[in-house]
Amino acid sequence: MNGDHDDDDTGNTMTTTDPAQTADTVSITAPRSTGTSATRVVGVAAIVAMAWLVAFGLGFSPADRDQEEAVRILYVHVPTIWLAYLAFVVTAIASALYLFTSKQSLGWDRAAGASAEIGVVFVAVTLVVGALWGRLTWGVFWQWDARLTTTALLFVTYVGYLAVRRLGGSHRQRARRSAVLGLIAVLEIPLVHWSVRLWRSLHQEATVLDTDGDIDMDGLMLFSLFVGVIAFTLLYAWLMMHRVRAMAMEDLVEDRGLDAALAARRAEGGA
Amino acid sequence: MAGHDTAGNDDLDLTPRTNVDGTAVGRTPQRHWLPIVVLALVVVAGGVIVTQFLRSAVDYYCNVDEVGVRDGCDADRRIRLQGTVDEGSIDQRNGVTSFSISFNGETIPVVYDGEPGGIFKECIPVVVHGVIEQGALRGDRVEVKHSDEYVAVNDERVADAKDLGCDASGSGA
Repeated sequence: MNGDHDDDDTGNTMTTTDPAQTADTVSITAPRSTGTSATRVVGVAAIVAMAWLVAFGLGFSPADRDQEEAVRILYVHVPTIWLAYLAFVVTAIASALYLFTSKQSLGWDRAAGASAEIGVVFVAVTLVVGALWGRLTWGVFWQWDARLTTTALLFVTYVGYLAVRRLGGSHRQRARRSAVLGLIAVLEIPLVHWSVRLWRSLHQEATVLDTDGDIDMDGLMLFSLFVGVIAFTLLYAWLMMHRVRAMAMEDLVEDRGLDAALAARRAEGGA
Repeated sequence: MAGHDTAGNDDLDLTPRTNVDGTAVGRTPQRHWLPIVVLALVVVAGGVIVTQFLRSAVDYYCNVDEVGVRDGCDADRRIRLQGTVDEGSIDQRNGVTSFSISFNGETIPVVYDGEPGGIFKECIPVVVHGVIEQGALRGDRVEVKHSDEYVAVNDERVADAKDLGCDASGSGA
């Protein structure tokens, strides 16, 4: 019997095989879909919020004095990097919960992995959209400036984290090594955020998450940014719910293959 | 290879079985080489990123008022110079753009062989890469730096009415 079977936090049923069972009686049940009524509600809310973001970002919010229409990129660029930060913090918290709780539930490991996957996608969007914004405002797509460099390093680090998760071994080996990496990698976030203060940078300093408390942003622009944060937060939640369940099913499929092989072997031994 | 399972079957043969294609029986074939390749690429990419950042940092990032004052901000070496484009200073002729930039009361003329991109205009902070020759910065790259302030165009008209002009005090750069 595979020792990696786990009580699942997602509500999936995971039934392990009894040693006496044969290949024909392996009993594993799993949901046929990652969707639930909760994912449907969050999904619809995310679509509505995205429509709201399009309306405010492209329609109601004004152009900027200096950047003109290019400022509208802000409503995707900033929410995606904030959500990426959140995703990686969730990865770190879930990693800590896996490592430092007595139960060591693989559900925490899957939450960490799913969140990191979504975070990597969001950082990629931030970098691509930021390069386009840079071309329109700075005049260059890329500059080896502190903020851009540290953000690129953050992206590369978490791509590495995802690769480490797929190196093989048992679920628990995967969970242990990726949890350690997840706790180390999150330390890059303060470096990315404070890079514009630590080094002289082409990238502007923070407008909203600034320590002086002043938000130098037009009211409607700020509201549009808020809508963007809500929309991408809902998208993150929707993706998380689906991905965690999908990862549970992937683990289940792997376990079923191993259980089937062991059951077949026992059948051979008994024959 | 023989072993025993949890049910106590001591003679259970645990020798790995393989399919015709060499994959393990009952186990989805996994491509472990792919994450190893990705990890190798990650290490290379990380090295390239850090190297490029350090190479870029070789050119000191100076403000106009630091030229000849701060270490590294000397006239005989390549620097990145930050300042605000002076009002009425932009002159574009024969593909060459001349303008002056100021920071904290100090001003320096800039000659750039080309037309700066982005939102280049008067009263906007810029970073010019180049070497200072005969009192002027010969730039080969101009990057426009926008501040952390976001002001609606309608508000700008109000500001224009008040004739606020350029702010080259360094706060926006």
